[in-house]
Amino acid sequence: MSIPGPAAGFEAASAEVIDLKALQADSDIAAPMAELDRDLVGLAPVKQRIREIAAFLLVARARERVGLAAGPPTLHMAFTGNPGTGKTTVALRMAGILHRLGYVRKGHLVSVTRDDLVGQYIGHTAPKTKDVLKRAMGGVLFIDEAYYLHRPENEKDYGQEAIEILLQVMENQREDLVVILAGYRDRMASFFVSNPGFRSRIAHHIDFPDYDASELLAIAELLAAQSDYRLSPAAREAMIEYITRRQQQPSFSNGRSIRNALDRARLRQAMRLYAGNAVATREALQTIEAEDIRASRVFAT
Amino acid sequence: MRVTQGTFSFLPDLTDRQISDQIEYCLRQGWAVGVEFTDDIHPRNTYWEMWGLPMFDLRDAAGVMAEVRACRETHPDVYVRLTAFDSTRGWETVRLSFLVQRPAEEPGFRLERTEAEGRSIRYGLSAYAIDRPVGERYKSKQANAAQGDSP
Amino acid sequence: MVFPEMEDIMGQMGNFTKIQDAKQRYKSGVIPYATMGYWEPDYQVKDTDILAMFRVTPQPGVDPIEAAAAVAGESSTATWTVVWTDRLTACEIYRAKAYRVDPVPNTGPGTATEAQYFAYIAYDIDLFEPGSIANLTASIIGNVFGFKAVKALRLEDMHIPIAYLKTFQGPATGIVVERERLDKFGRPLLGATTKPKLGLSGRNYGRVVYEALKGGLDFVKDDENINSQPFMHWRDRYLYCMEAVNRAQAATGEVKGHYLNVTAGTMEEMYERAEFAKQLGSVIIMIDLVIGYTAIQSMAKWARKNDMILHLHRAGNSTYSRQKSHGMNFRVICKWMRMAGVDHIHAGTVVGKLEGDPLMVKGFYDTLRSTDTKVNLQNGLFFPQEWASLNKVMPVASGGIHAGQMHQLLDYLGEDVVLQFGGGTIGHPMGIQAGATANRVALEAMVLARNEGRDIRNEGPEILRDAAKWCQPLRAALDTWGEITFNYTSTDTSDFTPTAVAV
Ligand SMILES: Nc1ncnc2c1ncn2[C@@H]1O[C@H](COP(=O)(O)OP(=O)(O)O)[C@@H](O)[C@H]1O
Ligand SMILES: [Mg+2]
Repeated sequence: MSIPGPAAGFEAASAEVIDLKALQADSDIAAPMAELDRDLVGLAPVKQRIREIAAFLLVARARERVGLAAGPPTLHMAFTGNPGTGKTTVALRMAGILHRLGYVRKGHLVSVTRDDLVGQYIGHTAPKTKDVLKRAMGGVLFIDEAYYLHRPENEKDYGQEAIEILLQVMENQREDLVVILAGYRDRMASFFVSNPGFRSRIAHHIDFPDYDASELLAIAELLAAQSDYRLSPAAREAMIEYITRRQQQPSFSNGRSIRNALDRARLRQAMRLYAGNAVATREALQTIEAEDIRASRVFAT
Repeated sequence: MRVTQGTFSFLPDLTDRQISDQIEYCLRQGWAVGVEFTDDIHPRNTYWEMWGLPMFDLRDAAGVMAEVRACRETHPDVYVRLTAFDSTRGWETVRLSFLVQRPAEEPGFRLERTEAEGRSIRYGLSAYAIDRPVGERYKSKQANAAQGDSP
Repeated sequence: MVFPEMEDIMGQMGNFTKIQDAKQRYKSGVIPYATMGYWEPDYQVKDTDILAMFRVTPQPGVDPIEAAAAVAGESSTATWTVVWTDRLTACEIYRAKAYRVDPVPNTGPGTATEAQYFAYIAYDIDLFEPGSIANLTASIIGNVFGFKAVKALRLEDMHIPIAYLKTFQGPATGIVVERERLDKFGRPLLGATTKPKLGLSGRNYGRVVYEALKGGLDFVKDDENINSQPFMHWRDRYLYCMEAVNRAQAATGEVKGHYLNVTAGTMEEMYERAEFAKQLGSVIIMIDLVIGYTAIQSMAKWARKNDMILHLHRAGNSTYSRQKSHGMNFRVICKWMRMAGVDHIHAGTVVGKLEGDPLMVKGFYDTLRSTDTKVNLQNGLFFPQEWASLNKVMPVASGGIHAGQMHQLLDYLGEDVVLQFGGGTIGHPMGIQAGATANRVALEAMVLARNEGRDIRNEGPEILRDAAKWCQPLRAALDTWGEITFNYTSTDTSDFTPTAVAV
């Protein structure tokens, strides 16, 4: 099956010179890369790795055009890092970028966990896994907490069946879909040790570091702005304090904790305006105040 | 003879590339595509065996093609067709159906005539292959190739 | 829609008010219809009202509003003079109401056509017998069409409320079930009318049927005037045709059919013929529009009861549907026939030899096939129409079409249509089978290409030429007819765009 490739930059089919800039412009890759930079706070090493991969794929296309050794590159990836560090968000962007570059035909993301792949009884797993794979064809299959597929303590675990089907498709249908495995760093490491088949089929390992406090604040302001809210100066101070406290808690999960905190602050803001019983100005409607944040349980101790 | 059931039977057998393009068309329309096979090619045999359920929510033809290949591999000597189902109100039926495999040899149909009252005739149609048991109705491709090789 | 000239003309229209005082209103004598209550510009249309829109050409000196009111009156309760017996009824309800009159664009002073008006009229549902096209039409296209105050009158469109639609059976089989029975999906069906129309013996006639079906057509058809004549009695024809159908099924493994025309002088004879067709295993029978609305409804009931597809030939319609100023638009026939319950109806080809402006034909096809048509003035659809789950009718395109036009046919008409290539099959230089094969190959190649996303409107000829490289019958067909087109201006055209000339 051929893949619709970007057009004009490749025209000079057997030429000795290929205009990489034109190629880049034609594949429309600049836009999603810029969005990645703009919409995602921090993640410098991740962004750098994605730039590298994009460059590599672009050059692979150019090599193919001038007849240098080329084959469908392996694109399966592992995203490791703690919860809320942006793995899912980046995977979604990745699907778009791979689509622009012509490495997946449709560019959608199908996100699953063990329960979507593994069945409850004999004969249940293969159809389930195959069904997910078929839905992901043409796009990216994102398997969150992939290590749960492997249950070393249980010999008769159906997870093994799913793993075998996955491995086969990852090997034989590389042009049909890209698989991204995601999860905690250490658990993924031991998963790869006990499943060398996966290790060898993964071309890119990308590590997602935890965010520091200033990045978390930036995420808070970005998420707020994306839905037409803003933090008052006092609320901003409250958020900084919230972040420091929240980071200490065991259940802290980076960006997700921030998103949840904001969602709750919006609820409190609504209650405050409603109870205030006055006419709300446009200004008031979009402002989160310090009290909306400080009412959190995080400040209780 | 050549059985001409299905939408594209007057064209040369479709290549996998062409089949895949038609699947893409079906997916763009929002239809679910199923693989079906039979060795009973009577024109009123509606219920061919299902090779799995119709596939819902696919975005790309590759998933269907994988099933087509698997079905052909398991049943190399029978008729295989793709059937696209539309769930839109006012349709709720098959919208496209075409063969993606046919046996190497198609012996055709016998037309049985029974004279009835006046000059009326009752007609009965049956495939010559139907007389053999299920699974042995059409010559295997290998056997056929071997035959072709012999002088 | 607002037209620049509208204001002026509206200024010329009379200003009538309904006479409210009963004594005045029912005084013996002649008063304007518009003041009798047949003109109600403020009338609120009810969900259950049946609506009709007429193109009215008033006699010189007759006010357009009065003309519209007269049409409303004459198609409902009125007579030429006041009658006191009106007062024994709830006549306010039974009176049809003209509620809107618009000047027709490009008519009247300064144009080549004398002034015409679109008159919108509402009828209460209780004016009509449930489930009877005959009763509906006796009012709507009854005496009113001979009425002197209008010089010409044309029924342009109707809106049938769901409440009234539900009293009709609708198509006996419908597009969905027809396709399921025939096991043919995703492409237009192919047919041909046996030629010559008249004179073949049953035996020779069946030969044409067999050749065409074996060559690749799905259906062959009797012509509208093939009933039971001295050269071929109906039973003979049925017997030979069914032999041909069955032979062709055996030769191809496909379901095949021949529309056996059951049109006859009496209902009893029609039933007898239909029964025989069923006994012989035919999937389809045929009737002509000239048998009348009641006979059509009877045959539709019979077809539903007997698992039969019902094909209707629109013989006769052009006597009243073709001229733009008088008669009725074919789209109304389409509506009535969908209600009456036929499965197929000839509805124009756009590119063939018979009348058919592309926009108008689009309106007919939408009326037959959609579940919910929207107002579309360009296509002549003046009212929205919800079809209340009545089956869809398969339009039939027939008359002077050939394989070289396949891309245009598919593009204009879509895939739910029967394409009938009579001459284009039987007149093929290599014989009837080759003619049928050429059509089928051209069709399948075009559907394949369309589905692949190719621009068939522009690449069509190239797609056909490519297929002709490996299909000799198609090559011969293109060589013979490739250049034939019929470029006459249609007479029944849209009032809302410049006339499009058939391709
Ligand atoms: N770098 C970032 N910039 C902006 N928002 C982020 C960033 N990282 C995470 N988020 C937000 O945090 C939430 C959780 O991120 P997610 O991608 O689901 O993390 P993971 O998949 O690693 O658990 C998302 O709602 C996302 O919007
Ligand atoms: Mg996640």
